[in-house]
Amino acid sequence: MAAAAKMGRGVKRLTVLGFLSLASLNAATYYVTIAGIGGEPEYEQRFSGWAKDIDKALKAAPDSKADTLFGPDATKVAIRAAFDRISKEAKAQDALVVMLIGHGTYDGADYKINLPGPDLSAIELATILDRLPPKRQLVVNMTSASGGGIEALRKESRIIISATKTGTEKNATIFARYWAEALHDPAADTDKNETVSALEAFRYADQKTAVFYVTQKRIATEHPLLEDTGKGEGARAPSAENGEGMLASAFPLLRLGANASAARDPEKLKLLTKKEELENQIERLKYEKAAMPIEDYRKQINALLLELAKTQAELDQ
Amino acid sequence: MKALTVLLLVVFGASAQTLENAEVLWKAHRYVEAGKVFEALVKRFDKNPDYKVRYGRLLLERFNPQDADGLFDEALGIKPDHAGALLGKALVAAENFEGKAAALAKAAIDADPTLVEAQELLARLALEDNNPPKAIEESEKALKISPKALGAMAILSAVDLLDDKKDSPWLNRILAIDPKHGEAYETLGNFFVLNRRYEEGIAFYRKAIELEPERWSTHSQLGINLMRLGREGEARQELELAFNNGWKDKPTSNTLNLMESYKNFVFFETNNTILKLHKKEAELLRPYFESELKRAIATYEKKYKMKLDRPVQIEVYPDHEDFAVRTMGMPGLGALGVTFGYVVAMDSPAGRKPGSFHWDSTMWHELSHVFVLSATKHKVPRWFTEGLAVHEETAASPDWGDRLDPHTISAIKEKKLLPVAELDRGFIHPSYPDQVIVSYFQAGKICDYINKKWGFDKLLAMIQDFAKGEDTKDVIEKELGLKPEAFDKEFLAALTEETKVIVEGFDDWRKKMRTISELAKAEKWDDVIREGLAIRDVYKDYVEAGSVYEFLSDAYLAKNDKPKAIAELARYSEVGGRSPMLVKKLATLLEEAGRKKEAAAALTRLNWIYPEDEELHTRLGELDMADGKTEEAAVEFRAAIALKPLDVATARYNLARAYRGAGKQSEAKDELLLALETAPGFKPAQRMLLELTKEEIKK
Repeated sequence: MAAAAKMGRGVKRLTVLGFLSLASLNAATYYVTIAGIGGEPEYEQRFSGWAKDIDKALKAAPDSKADTLFGPDATKVAIRAAFDRISKEAKAQDALVVMLIGHGTYDGADYKINLPGPDLSAIELATILDRLPPKRQLVVNMTSASGGGIEALRKESRIIISATKTGTEKNATIFARYWAEALHDPAADTDKNETVSALEAFRYADQKTAVFYVTQKRIATEHPLLEDTGKGEGARAPSAENGEGMLASAFPLLRLGANASAARDPEKLKLLTKKEELENQIERLKYEKAAMPIEDYRKQINALLLELAKTQAELDQ
Repeated sequence: MKALTVLLLVVFGASAQTLENAEVLWKAHRYVEAGKVFEALVKRFDKNPDYKVRYGRLLLERFNPQDADGLFDEALGIKPDHAGALLGKALVAAENFEGKAAALAKAAIDADPTLVEAQELLARLALEDNNPPKAIEESEKALKISPKALGAMAILSAVDLLDDKKDSPWLNRILAIDPKHGEAYETLGNFFVLNRRYEEGIAFYRKAIELEPERWSTHSQLGINLMRLGREGEARQELELAFNNGWKDKPTSNTLNLMESYKNFVFFETNNTILKLHKKEAELLRPYFESELKRAIATYEKKYKMKLDRPVQIEVYPDHEDFAVRTMGMPGLGALGVTFGYVVAMDSPAGRKPGSFHWDSTMWHELSHVFVLSATKHKVPRWFTEGLAVHEETAASPDWGDRLDPHTISAIKEKKLLPVAELDRGFIHPSYPDQVIVSYFQAGKICDYINKKWGFDKLLAMIQDFAKGEDTKDVIEKELGLKPEAFDKEFLAALTEETKVIVEGFDDWRKKMRTISELAKAEKWDDVIREGLAIRDVYKDYVEAGSVYEFLSDAYLAKNDKPKAIAELARYSEVGGRSPMLVKKLATLLEEAGRKKEAAAALTRLNWIYPEDEELHTRLGELDMADGKTEEAAVEFRAAIALKPLDVATARYNLARAYRGAGKQSEAKDELLLALETAPGFKPAQRMLLELTKEEIKK
């Protein structure tokens, strides 16, 4: 019974994944990256450096629409102006990614990111985001105390990633360094579909952050969370078991190009559809693995993988 | 009578708060109640040092030396020459093997010349320092104070039995006075364990328990030492018995906790080795540990001209705290590895900050102990077995072993090195903070010197002499033809000459290093190069963070002079630098310069330092592939997979490439399919799968 229930959830996930991967090919993604004030030259440099790294990766992707604000330019007024532009331009099927870097504070009720001039609170940011056309939204809050902003920001269809699990983890964070790295490192694309999903980037940055503290023999002062159900507390390790990560796995954070160009070629659309059907069959089979004899599983998955390889070869011709 | 006293106490005087009351409760093993009475007394009579001292002694007995020490200090604040308080502090210091224990015990005797317990402690400390004549002298003084000083007699019997006498008259005298005096046998057990003669130590603990079945401290010691030798079933029984009967000191409870964690370990056995690894790192570490274990044993069998009569067990702990439990109560350990006969326990590379620990050097060090302890039947002075083990580290590879550190330079400069005949004291009861480290260095250098001047056969002959029970003085004189004092003079002259440049130039070097650091911050690279080259060879061994090699390589890189940057980093690596970051930087520069074999050699060094690094194995695997070493590449790619990488698909694809290169098509295909199972759209893997499938069809 438990296996059947788990399998059911897997099939639902695949349906969502298939829909988004095809539908989202013609949608745009808007990015807003904000690096707040560091307070000290070392942090100023670090925060703006990470923001620039992210910006570089985003602008290298095709049809990128990225606004990056750091240093004295990252004011509340400038942030509002950036969102106003998106409000005028974007459509409902588009996606929005907001990335926050810097020092954050949490007073027990609301979270704020430290900016030059007035700070921006999580409640204020949520109000702005609620009014924007893109329905699919990802907020990556990588500041200290960022866990304190989850409650205000969470909403159906919005993925929230925070560098800390609560508002009381107040030490400067390192998560942003590895999030930026995820956008450059092909290793982050673990399923090799030429798209780094929000979930892949989260797992990459989370693991690298953990390794950083282990190798430095320091007590970890940040514990990243992901929340994409619109009602949860966030999970350290998103999975089918805890219900987190479903939306994030289907949210293309950064496309590496090839799939997008293939979709625009009507000749290849048929092959692309076949390819995605095979991928779905493979995913389904993986969910059934535990409930079937291993020899049968191996035989079936090997055949599917071979067929997929042949299809991809045709696509690449 | 005793029962009646306790009963009366319970009925009439449970609330009476007198010293007698506390003492009776203590004697009745009602420690908590006794503590409460003492607590009340100490509060009520806060100017009475006697109450504080007695309360301190109770706390010391019940595993709280810290608070006990505080009470002894308070007593000394009231009466600076309180003999009992001085003795209490001496006992606390002795428990931690601190050098000040003897001075405190002596001060106690001076304050009260009839204090036999202080005199007995002096005898014990002397024997711990491997100085039997002094131990006899101090014991005899105790017996003059009290002819029935059983503790002193136990020390005298330990002197006899450690000297391999079949029996000791002192034991008979002890038993004539108290036929159930298990403590004497526990003392014997402690001394044999301290001398690494675990089997004999265990036999004495058993004898103690035979006389006094409810001696829980002995049950605990028996359990701990059985565990050290790998006899876990009986060890657990003894430890649980002690614990359940109130003997809940840290060694007992921590050892039980450690044994509980053993379910997470796996064993790998060969004909002469047993490797015990934590499940989470077994797949990664096994190939490296097994191959080095075999190589070390083969090397030592040849060098020491002997074969071990049973397998050596190596236990590797990823959690340093688990390893620390294994060494609890052992004095003077470098705390990287420890040998108990044929069992070696050591930190895993994961248990330490990357670059701070050379696991392979440590393993070779410990395995040298296994051979020397076995050859001498554990009758070897501490300085010699440590010295030889340190010598073996750099004999295995010149870049292994510990470098000359600033503390040792200071010790040489301040003439703090001990005479060879007293060197054990530097390990057991260090009198200054870094004396254990300095003693390791000195012992190693002594063995280096003997090897260089007289040859390795002399060291082998010394092993044989120690096996016969001869002491350091006799062995030095017999084998080297020198009185120990003359040897010290000669050795120190050679060491002074060898270290002259750094010892004389150390203060200046340190000042200039500060200047170089400032120049580097200001990016004045020409000045960094000029100043760096001027002092580089003054203290070649300094390879810690902020070494001159690092500054120089940064400066050369800033000036785009890569060959010179490579040369400095290569020098750093040759001298023994262990920072994975710097060694990987060297490998990158070598690769860029097309010197791939040297890049691979540089990275291979890191396998023996910090193999828990996926990037290292992937890079090394690629270099091996480029060099056509597909089997070696497969080892590295398997290690990368064992580290559970985020990008599993690429890791498995890499392994498939190595297998394919080695002609193992079937294994290659299996890996490819596993890679594709994780990442179905992984194009390079798809292409190789199609190629392999075509090749299969052709066949």
